[in-house]
Amino acid sequence: MSDQAVSSPAPRILAIPGVSVALIGLSLLFAVASPGFLTSGNLSNVLVQSVILLLLALPMTLIIMTEGLDLSMGAVLTLASLVLALIVVSTQSLALALLGALGVGLVFGLVNGWLIAGLSIPPFVATLGTLGAAQGLALVVSDGQSVVGIPRFVRLIYSGETFGIPTPILIGAGFYALFHILLYHTRFGTYVCALGGNRDALTLAGVAWKRLLVAVYMLGGAMAGVAALLMTARINAGHPTAAIGMEFDAIAAVALGGTSFEKGNGWLLGTLLGVLTVGVLRNGLNLMAVPSSVQVACIGALVIAALLIDSLRSTRP
Amino acid sequence: MNAMTATRPRLDAPPPPRPAEGKPLLELKGICKTFPGVKALDDVSFAVWPGEVHMLLGENGAGKSSLMKVLCGAYQADAGEYLHKGETVEIRNPADARKLGIAVIFQEFSLVPYLDVAQNIFLGREFPSRIPGLIDRRRLYREARAVLDLIGLDIDPRTKVHTLGVAQQQMVEIGKALSQDARILVMDEPTAALSDRETERLFAVMRQLQAKGVAIVYISHRMAEVFALGDRITVLRDGKLVGRAQPDETTPDALVRMMVGRNVDMSYPRNFTEQPGEIALEVKGLSAKNGIRDIDLTVRAGEIVGLCGLVGSGRSEVARAVFGADEITAGEVRVFGKPKRGGPDASVLADIGLIPESRKTEGLALIRTVGDNLAVAGLPKLFPDKLFSPGRARRAAEDLIARLRIATPSSNQSVGLLSGGNQQKVVIGKWLAAGTRLFIFDEPTRGIDVGAKSEIFALIDQLVAEGAAVLMISSEQAEIVHVCDRAYVMRGKRIVGELSRAELSEENIVRMGMHDE
Repeated sequence: MSDQAVSSPAPRILAIPGVSVALIGLSLLFAVASPGFLTSGNLSNVLVQSVILLLLALPMTLIIMTEGLDLSMGAVLTLASLVLALIVVSTQSLALALLGALGVGLVFGLVNGWLIAGLSIPPFVATLGTLGAAQGLALVVSDGQSVVGIPRFVRLIYSGETFGIPTPILIGAGFYALFHILLYHTRFGTYVCALGGNRDALTLAGVAWKRLLVAVYMLGGAMAGVAALLMTARINAGHPTAAIGMEFDAIAAVALGGTSFEKGNGWLLGTLLGVLTVGVLRNGLNLMAVPSSVQVACIGALVIAALLIDSLRSTRP
Repeated sequence: MNAMTATRPRLDAPPPPRPAEGKPLLELKGICKTFPGVKALDDVSFAVWPGEVHMLLGENGAGKSSLMKVLCGAYQADAGEYLHKGETVEIRNPADARKLGIAVIFQEFSLVPYLDVAQNIFLGREFPSRIPGLIDRRRLYREARAVLDLIGLDIDPRTKVHTLGVAQQQMVEIGKALSQDARILVMDEPTAALSDRETERLFAVMRQLQAKGVAIVYISHRMAEVFALGDRITVLRDGKLVGRAQPDETTPDALVRMMVGRNVDMSYPRNFTEQPGEIALEVKGLSAKNGIRDIDLTVRAGEIVGLCGLVGSGRSEVARAVFGADEITAGEVRVFGKPKRGGPDASVLADIGLIPESRKTEGLALIRTVGDNLAVAGLPKLFPDKLFSPGRARRAAEDLIARLRIATPSSNQSVGLLSGGNQQKVVIGKWLAAGTRLFIFDEPTRGIDVGAKSEIFALIDQLVAEGAAVLMISSEQAEIVHVCDRAYVMRGKRIVGELSRAELSEENIVRMGMHDE
C-alpha cells in the first residue's frame, strides 16, 4: 500500500524558536562571558564575517530542498578564489577575474548537476567526487603556494564601505533579497520546492525537471564563484586551502535554520538566522580564545541538535 | 449483501443515458501493454463521447490503472491506436495528453507537500507577472479561490498542502484537474477518501462538467456510484475487455459476474482436512497506527485462512500489525495461546513468519547468497550458543534446498539470480529454518509464473499438513477460493465478514468487498 501524501501538522512553528533561541541564547551567553562581544564594532564584524557563509548557504538551502547536497562548495570556492587571484594579479582586470571565478563555479555546478540529474548518482557521492577534483585542481593551479599581490581595489570589496555601510553587508543583503524573490516569486523557486516534494507532480505537470536540477547545482557553483571574490579580498591572497570544509558550515547553517532534508521543506529566513548563529558562535568563541578545532566541534554539536529536532518533527504522526 | 442492488447515493435524478452519437471524443483501439512477465493490457478498445460518464470496472489487476495511464500518456502502449476526435494522435508523455485536454486525478496524489494549495493547483501553469520572470501571485490566489469555490472547498489557498487532511488533499487534486479546463477528465476512485458531503459536492461538479460536454472516465469499486453516475460501463478482466453495458440494461450481479469471469486454468493442490487443530493465532480487537480497526480473527493449526478484499482495504496492514512491524494501538495478539507483544524479533521467537508482498525488498537480501538468506531468520535456532558456524549454516541451507527443491546451483548463489518461484521458496525456507509454525503469506504468488504457482501452493499445503497454520492474503480471488479453508473479507481497514469453505466463491468475495454502506 503506497504511503500517501503526508498529513503531519505544521511544524514550522517549532522551527522558528529553535534557530532564534539558539541565536539569542548564544548572543546573550557571549555578551555576558566576553565584554568585547556586545560592541557595535564587533557586531558589525559578525555580520561582515557571515557574508561569505551566507553566499554559500543560500544556494545550499535550495539544493537541500531538492533532497540534494553539495559537498564540493568549499573546494570549488577555493579553486575559484585561486583562479580569480591568478587572473587579477596578472591582468589587473576585476571583470576578467570574476568571470574566471564564475566560470569555475558554473563548470563544477554543471558537472554536479549532470552526475546527479543525468546519471542518477546520489548527490552525496557525486559532490564528494567533485570536492576531491576541485581540491586537487586547487593544489595544481597554485602549486601549493599562496597567490599574493592582490590589488587594493579587490581588497576594498571586503574592507570598504558603500553609503557608509560595509560593502560585504550590502552584497549579502542584495543576494538574500535576490534568493528570496527567486524562491518565493518565480517558477524556478516553486519547482525547487516540488523537486524535493514530489518529482512525479512535476513530470505530470510537463516540467522538464532534470534541467532544473542541473540549474540548481549551477546556481550553487556560481555563488561559490561570487563568494570566491569576497574570500580573496578578505585574506588578501589566493590560498589553496582557503575555504576547504566551508560546506560544513553552510550545511550546518541551513540545517539550523529549519530546512528539512526531506520533501522540499525549506525556509530561507531560517538559513539567514542559521548563518548568523554560526557567525555568532565562531565570533564569540574567538573572543574567548577557544581554538578553532573546538569551534568546529561546537558547530557539529549544534547541527546534531538541529537534525535531531528535524527528525523528531518528521517522525511525528 | 442486498445493499448491492439497493440504494443509490443521494443525488439528483440521474441524467438520461446519452446515445453514442457522432465521433467519440477519444478512442483507444487494440491497446496492448506488456510488462516483464505480465500482459497488463491485451487488445483493449475503449471510447468516450462528450458529456458522458464512462465507468470503468474490474478487479484488482484487471488493467484499469494501466489503461488510464496509457490514456494520459504516462505509459506508452506497445501496440494499438490512439484517436482524438477521429484522428490518430501520438501521445509520448503526460504533457502531450494535457494538450488534448486530458486531466487525470490519480489515487496517488500528485501534490507537493510544502507548496500551498494555489501553487499546487497551478503547478506548471503559473501566471506570469508584468515583471518578467516573476509569478503574478495576486492572480494565482484569485484564480485558486475561484477553483476552490467551484468544488466547494472552504480553505485558504495559501494553506500548505501537507497540513490538509487526506479528503481535502483529494479535493485539491480534483480542483487541480478541473482548473486545467479539461475536456476529458479521468478519475481513479475519487470518492475513496471523501465524506458523504464532499462526495455529493463532487457529483454536483461532475454534473456541471457533463452539461458543458466534458467526458468523464470514472474508475469505481462502488456499485451504487456506477449505477447512479454512469452513462456507459466498460468491464476489464486480466488485461482484456470483457464487456460493455449501459446501466439501465444491466444489474450489479451481472457486472460482478463479468468482473470475476471463469477461472483461469490452473491447478491448486490442496488436501482439505476436516479437523483443524489448536488455535495458532487469535487476534482480538486489534487496531494499529497503520489504520486497521477492531480486527478479530483466528487461525488454527492445519488451516489455511484467507484474508481478502480490495487493494487498500487493509489486508497487508493486518499482516504487518500481527507480525509487529507496525505499531499496535489496541487489542491483543495471541500465538499458540500465549500473548505476543513487541516487534518482528518477538514474532520470530514466537514462531511467526511473514512472507511479505514485496519479496525483493522485504523478503530477501537480493545481493546475498541463498545460504545467507535461508539462515537469517533462523540464526537464534541454528546457533543457540551465539557463535556462527559456516559449516552448520551450509548444511542447514543444503537441507532446505533439497527439501524445498529450490533450483539453485549452490547455496552460494546470489538469491537475486533465481527465478521468482525459487526466490519465494527461499523466503519460505528462511522461516522453516527459524522453526516457524504460523506462516503469514502476503500475495504468495505475485510475480511468479503459473507452473511455479502450483508448486508454491503444494508447499503451503504440505506445511499445513505437517501442522502449521497459514494466514494468506491474496488479490487473486481464485487462489483464496481454491486453497483456503475459510476467509475473512476486509473493506475500509476492517473485517466485514467471514466466508466458510461452503460460502467461498469469487462472487461472494467481490460482493462483500465492494458493497456500499
